[in-house]
Amino acid sequence: MRLTALDEAAEAIGLRKNQAVAEARAICPKLDVVEEDPAADRRLLDGIADWCDRYTPLVALDGRDGLFLDITGCTHLFGGEKALLQDVLSRLFQMGIDARGAISSAPGLSWGIARFGNGGVIADQEMELVLSPLPVAALRLEEETVAALQKLGLKQVGDLIHAPRAPLARRFGAHLLLRLDQALGLDEEPVSPRRPVASLSAERRLAEPVQAEEDILHLTGQIALSLKTSLEERGTGGRAFELVLFRVDGRVFRVAAGASQPLRDPSRIAALFSERLHAVHDDLDAGYGFEILRLNVTRHEAFDAAQEDFAGDRQKHVSLAGFVDRVSARLGEDCLQSFHLCESHVPERAVIAAPAIRTLSSGKGPEKSGVSWSRGERPLRLFPRPEAVEVFLAEVPEGPPESFRWRRMLHRVSRSEGPERLAMEWWIDGPEAGARDYFRIEDDTGHRFWIYREGLYGQLPPPRWFMHGIFA
Amino acid sequence: MVQAPMAREQLFALREEIARLEGKPVPAMAAARQEALAERGGRDREKPRLSLGISMLDEALEGGVPLDGLSEIRSSCLRDATASAGFALAISALMQRQAAADATPILWIADRVTAMEAGVPYALGLKDFGLDPQRFLHAAPRKLDEALWLAETAVESGAFAVTLLEVKGNPAHFGLTESRRLSLRARAAGRPLLLLRQSGEEEASSAALRFLVEPAPAAIRLLPDRSMLGGSIGNPVFRLTLEKSRNPAPLSLILEWNPHDRQFFPAREQARPPLKRTAHPGSRLSASLNRPDRPQEMGAVLAFDQAS
Repeated sequence: MRLTALDEAAEAIGLRKNQAVAEARAICPKLDVVEEDPAADRRLLDGIADWCDRYTPLVALDGRDGLFLDITGCTHLFGGEKALLQDVLSRLFQMGIDARGAISSAPGLSWGIARFGNGGVIADQEMELVLSPLPVAALRLEEETVAALQKLGLKQVGDLIHAPRAPLARRFGAHLLLRLDQALGLDEEPVSPRRPVASLSAERRLAEPVQAEEDILHLTGQIALSLKTSLEERGTGGRAFELVLFRVDGRVFRVAAGASQPLRDPSRIAALFSERLHAVHDDLDAGYGFEILRLNVTRHEAFDAAQEDFAGDRQKHVSLAGFVDRVSARLGEDCLQSFHLCESHVPERAVIAAPAIRTLSSGKGPEKSGVSWSRGERPLRLFPRPEAVEVFLAEVPEGPPESFRWRRMLHRVSRSEGPERLAMEWWIDGPEAGARDYFRIEDDTGHRFWIYREGLYGQLPPPRWFMHGIFA
Repeated sequence: MVQAPMAREQLFALREEIARLEGKPVPAMAAARQEALAERGGRDREKPRLSLGISMLDEALEGGVPLDGLSEIRSSCLRDATASAGFALAISALMQRQAAADATPILWIADRVTAMEAGVPYALGLKDFGLDPQRFLHAAPRKLDEALWLAETAVESGAFAVTLLEVKGNPAHFGLTESRRLSLRARAAGRPLLLLRQSGEEEASSAALRFLVEPAPAAIRLLPDRSMLGGSIGNPVFRLTLEKSRNPAPLSLILEWNPHDRQFFPAREQARPPLKRTAHPGSRLSASLNRPDRPQEMGAVLAFDQAS
């Protein structure tokens, strides 16, 4: 067992990383060793990254112990770069996290300064000056490269900056020079954010944290009102929204809600979240309250403004959309479904059930109007999975049964229509799939069934009978 | 003594309020106002009702199925679930046709157990039954509470021509209070709500009507030259019993639904289906002749209905 991470007290005693635990205990018998838990570390880092969303939407993870924040265009909200860095570090310190940070125009340089330098804000002119005295490890290189460079006496980054580039590239590969250029800001290095960046977002920072659901909803309505003008400028309405709630102690909750139509109306957006918050009620622990509320528009679509007419026809459509939104927000998208016909003659494939929230705005859905092959009548209720039926007597070779047993009950057939032969789709089921012969059957009590025979008499395997639906 | 008239006035006001909520004719105090309204409004003040096109039934229903309230349709066992669903959907088709613009959808709030036992509504079957599958929304809530919330919200939104709520049996959480709540909501919104109680017992509820639906042998297909096609299975036929209505006499009749015309017709009574068979015939072995009789078994043998 070896040490992987140390706190300040341990460093003061003189322990090192990669030291054996036995050796460390020899130095300090009272050593408190905690087993490493990379998953928990990762969760903590994710939590911090979520919390960092308060500064910028562009937060990227860096390895196991770092975060990149792209603060382009965000600094003025916090009173400048220096104030922002101060704010981040002091808030993290208050939370009990020992963090170091640096701001510069190159991610590579910030990485090096934060880890090996003194941190702070680096102006563009003094980049080289600050980088030069740092050890070569500050360039994010592999350990072998660092060791090889040190063997050659190239201990500081300054040595590399002034060394001829061609021999370095030949000996250590292009990667070294790439890292060097990135640290100097000569090569562009994009930061890939953890989450998709919202196309629009607005937020409210509160002096006094809020806890009550009504307050949250009221504020959501206000934020939605401030988003309305931006949506109008773009001529769009939001289809998917995300409410981000920053709790005082640093925890971040995200509540997503979808709409069946592009929305702009603040009251309807707030109504979406009213159902959603009701649904996630138990998971949303307000604790000491939320200090920042942010509303993101994660997906938006063209909004066709329609003029109200006197007949109120549009009102009806709006109320249907509002109902679909409310139900989908509260009970989930899959709860409410609409049916769409497909061009397939296999009964279970002829109808697709799709969430109503997806298909409502597109009007007709994926349906084609020309579904008009000749077919027999179809049952009112269909079993999602056909149920096996025991048939005692059937006309051979392809007649209806005389009587059958289904769910432990004997049915005597009084009338029947059929067969209607449906071949399976060879392009899906393969050429081996047998055809089905469907019969409409009425038993002597007036129940009407749709049963089918798979396979033919006189062939192997013997035919089997199934119950597939019930007629009214 | 001064308080007595005050209290009485309060009492009258409360009575009036209750009567107004229930939609019943208001007694005594508001009678005059009612008369004035009746003079002005004439027949328009009549509650909207859907005529089923059968004179005998419509008379018993005082004009038809109410378009602004709760009606119950019941099946006695899950085997009959499709028949009752068929009758409810036939009424829905009529209501949808009567609704303005003909574009308002139907909402079907399904019950999980019934869906497993009797199948889920099938869009092509709906089409064959006279409904437009595009204007049909299917909701599958997980719990009864969710189903009740859905029904209430749907009725309130006013977006649906009719809302169908399917319930299995007589759940304890859906008693008189809940049905009364739904009924009041439906009345306030002026929208019809059909409660489909599958495999349920008769139960006191707030519904104005209750039908018991059983399947009956189908009509025979007619050929173009008006002759019958022997042995064919034509339009669906339902055996209806009007169990609850303002009319005290129970009414039983057989109706044929014509999906093409979207119309009910009275059907002729075909061969009476045989009585229900039982799983255990109930007869015991005959007593032995030359030996002492075997000891009597404890208890009685009951002829249970065969399990469905």
